[in-house]
Amino acid sequence: MDLILQLLFTGIGIGAVYALVALGFVLIFRATNVVNFAQGEFSMVAAYLMVVCVELGLPYWLSFVIALAGMALLGVIFNLGVYYPLRHRTYLPVIIATIGASILLSNSVLAIYGPQPQVLQGWFDTPGIQLGPVYLDSQYLLIIGVTILLVLFNFWFFEKTLLGKKLQATSQDKEMASLLGISVSTMIMITFIYSAVLGGLAGILVAPVLFVSIQMGSTIALKAFAATIIGGFGDVAGAIVGGLALGVIETFGAAYISVPYKDGFAFLVLIAFLVFRPQGIFGERVAEKA
Amino acid sequence: MPLLEIRNLVVRYGEIEALRGVTIAVEQGQVVTLLGANGAGKSTTLRAISGLAKPASGDILFDGHSIAGLGPEAIVRLGISHVPEGRRVFPGLTVKENIMLGASNRKVSASQISREADAMFDLFPDIRAFSNALGWTLSGGQLQMVAVARGLMAKPRLLLLDEPSLGLAPVIVQAVFRIISQIRKDTTVLLVEQNARMGLSVADHGFVLETGRIVLGGKPDELWGNEAIAAAYLGGHAKTHA
Repeated sequence: MDLILQLLFTGIGIGAVYALVALGFVLIFRATNVVNFAQGEFSMVAAYLMVVCVELGLPYWLSFVIALAGMALLGVIFNLGVYYPLRHRTYLPVIIATIGASILLSNSVLAIYGPQPQVLQGWFDTPGIQLGPVYLDSQYLLIIGVTILLVLFNFWFFEKTLLGKKLQATSQDKEMASLLGISVSTMIMITFIYSAVLGGLAGILVAPVLFVSIQMGSTIALKAFAATIIGGFGDVAGAIVGGLALGVIETFGAAYISVPYKDGFAFLVLIAFLVFRPQGIFGERVAEKA
Repeated sequence: MPLLEIRNLVVRYGEIEALRGVTIAVEQGQVVTLLGANGAGKSTTLRAISGLAKPASGDILFDGHSIAGLGPEAIVRLGISHVPEGRRVFPGLTVKENIMLGASNRKVSASQISREADAMFDLFPDIRAFSNALGWTLSGGQLQMVAVARGLMAKPRLLLLDEPSLGLAPVIVQAVFRIISQIRKDTTVLLVEQNARMGLSVADHGFVLETGRIVLGGKPDELWGNEAIAAAYLGGHAKTHA
């Protein structure tokens, strides 16, 4: 029982990272009808930005702010450079452009920083606290806490503000949104900035748990992508639930079945969903967007 | 000076010339109805006015200023609101949210917009009960009411209505046209209809479009009086003329 609680905590912690990246996937998909294959690289770039700032001797909080501001800027550049010129084309050129951007980002970091994985220390000096039988790692606590706040913010923003409604309207019918005077290009710009910051936040939060490496982006992105499919593609709640479920499943799989196959469990579950429930957990609500 | 003046408007979709020199004028305070068969260019005319279709040549003057080539976001800010074909109510937003977004062309506070949206239900009592229902759950008639209410939230000087009666039961069509005759007190309306009888019943002036050209224009009585037109568009029994 103690082990189960411990694994649940760890699983939710890592799942929260997948959920944040998955949320970025879903928001961009809904706004542009395109899967952004560079979403994982947002996490990687943010983690490296963080490493650079910390190595320069900046305080951790300031590095955090700078890294996130850098991601917002990357979101702007990404939108203007990758999406905007192709916005009137079909989805295919845009998808290919995001793959290109993903390669460009990872190779740029490789050229600047080299292939050696970097280490980023966690936010807190205390490694964690013992709560009864369960050891709560401070970084995992931070990840879970930040994710809860972001999910609440996301709900408030999209459901309670007029800007959130305009973003939803844009993702449902761009032409109609523009007829009402909603600036579609601004809405898509906001979506890219928000998604880049979400991806970056996930990267910064998970970096102390993993190594900071060029490949960390693609690993996280693949899991997050699987999470969006498990949750129901294009569904915000599905992305979060899918991400958390995936984190828990792979943690339990690694503990009880096989550690080397840890990454495999995520994709096993993905395949099972594609075969038996391709619409995902929240799939039936797709009718809302039909 | 007319509120809206279209001069020799040509619109192409690739190789196809959808409008081949359309000239119409809409006076302030009028309801003008644009009649014509499927594919005659009625919707394209509205799309060109609201900025969704780019004119290849010709000009569109609103209040004496050219708006040809402006984007839809800029045009609705000038006071032209387009309720397009198919209603296009946002399926994942509630009725009230849909109506509130109609004010996106104006700089007003969210609470002000909310009050105005509530007031809009006085004009559309049938949808008041569905205020919190999502768009995709509504019937065709309800969707049309939401679409028109949303269009009016822009406080337009000119309202473009594209086939408001399409696919609706006769009793609902009458309700929609009752609303149009109320709207006309404050707003100039350019109405596109295939239902010529309903379309002309509220109009001050009518135009008939045929394969991208205006073939006839006049007061509703004059249009009724034209035998060939009556036959072709107003439900007569003579052969369709070429």
